[in-house]
Amino acid sequence: MKNIKLIAGIAWAAAGLLIIILLFPGLETMSGKLANLPFMKINPNFSGGEVERQLVSPVCTLDIRRPVFDGLFSERKEGFVQLDWRGKLPGEIEDSIDYNFDSIPDFYIKIDTKQSATFLKAVNPAVRDINISAATSYGWAVRVNLIRNPSTLPSGEL
Amino acid sequence: MDDGTSVLKPNKPAGRSLLYTLPMLLITFMFMTGGRPDFSDSAQILALMITFAGVNVLFFLMHFTGKTDRYRAVLFIAFALSLSFTLISNMLETRSSMSFNQSDILECRIPFCHLVIPMMIIPAAFTESIIFPGSIIGGFADIASMVVLWLTATIVLGRGFCSWGCFYGGWDDGFSRVRKRSIVKNISDSWKWMPFAVLFMVAITAALTLVPTYCDWICPFKAVTEFEQVTGVESALKAGVFISLFAGLVVVLPSTTKKRTQCSFLCPLGAINSISNKLTPFTVKIDKNACSECLKCVKTCPLFALTPADIKEGQASIFCSKCGKCIDICPNNAIHYGIKGVPAGTRKNFSRNLYLFVSFLFLAVFSSGSIINTLRKLLDFII
Repeated sequence: MKNIKLIAGIAWAAAGLLIIILLFPGLETMSGKLANLPFMKINPNFSGGEVERQLVSPVCTLDIRRPVFDGLFSERKEGFVQLDWRGKLPGEIEDSIDYNFDSIPDFYIKIDTKQSATFLKAVNPAVRDINISAATSYGWAVRVNLIRNPSTLPSGEL
Repeated sequence: MDDGTSVLKPNKPAGRSLLYTLPMLLITFMFMTGGRPDFSDSAQILALMITFAGVNVLFFLMHFTGKTDRYRAVLFIAFALSLSFTLISNMLETRSSMSFNQSDILECRIPFCHLVIPMMIIPAAFTESIIFPGSIIGGFADIASMVVLWLTATIVLGRGFCSWGCFYGGWDDGFSRVRKRSIVKNISDSWKWMPFAVLFMVAITAALTLVPTYCDWICPFKAVTEFEQVTGVESALKAGVFISLFAGLVVVLPSTTKKRTQCSFLCPLGAINSISNKLTPFTVKIDKNACSECLKCVKTCPLFALTPADIKEGQASIFCSKCGKCIDICPNNAIHYGIKGVPAGTRKNFSRNLYLFVSFLFLAVFSSGSIINTLRKLLDFII
């Protein structure tokens, strides 16, 4: 038994040497394989969620992403919707946004890209306020805070 | 393989040490140059040659003198300093600031580090996603590469990762060496369980909030890498916490206690690495027949990994990062690197040579990029 343990220990240690020698040349392949696993994607709370609709105008494109309420087990009460304007942006952006695609605008948004000022006018009671509004490498991105089910709020908070 | 009972003798024949260093020379040369050194850039080649020579001289000296920790520490500390230098200089060049802004978060451009790993496990299991605004693959410090590097190293080295692979550990290791004698003594070693509590807390809070809470609120190394732009009370408070914890746990306490207090009392990844010490083939063993129970090793261990009970048991505890400090200080050569399954006091040289080759190779290759980059920038500045 002692000899088996000894041989197994030395074999495992020698395998360790081999693993470390192969680690760096094989890093790209191994990390590529890991990246393909189903859980290797950025959580929507960081990535902003998938693009659901793209509105193309002569100067820029507006991506409306899916509202993100993702929690650990179920949806959260509070979330956000991310909008991305891509392309050559005008000094002032003004859009009405229908994020739930019911053909009724949910909020109006105005961005002064020169002054970095963002104004929001909510129509849908689920729309709360601006979470992030920032210049990006591709143009401008805004996250607007939302409530999943505004009917559950006390009337004073609406 | 040696005769199995010999005691490590310092200052081995130089030829034998050179022979032992030869494979390291070849492998590090291949990894550092990619097999094709670019001689057109003289500053780059000079930085590469300095790093290559320095690394291999340290490895040679480890074998030649029989001492481990003093040479390991040089490279380990250089790694920590050079990585912070590389990150900060990159941030200053590209953003004129050490802080990242909202667009970096929106575009998932935050460099990933291994300290996030304890927080991403539960969310990855339940939401099939990673709760970090970084790049999955490609770009600087992508998530997939960092996970592969850490996972492989921790399986092979166990908590040895904390002394041979972590690019933060060199900070408190360095500060723990500033003073010759400790001012604060008699710290209860029960504090070494604290990282398990931190691990539990950050894993749960990160799962519930889907935010890497340790990075967001606690990580002391934000002070020497990058942190969220201060735009309000919350971000100012976070910056205050990062700087205070860095000053307290990485600078002041290590300097006064001669212990790696951040690694011992806070780091949640250290707790996971302690558990992985059960998997690794390598360990630190105590030859009870040779031990005189002087307890010098217990006093010198920077991670509270050795207790009199461990000495009686003949093996360092799961907290051991295999830094080699206890081995270097033992007057009887009773403590040595060992391989699981191999009885204590036997095959000392073989176990040490194998462990040092594995761990040093990982440290040398992992650290070389940032050390070369730092030297290159310093050379550009000087010349």
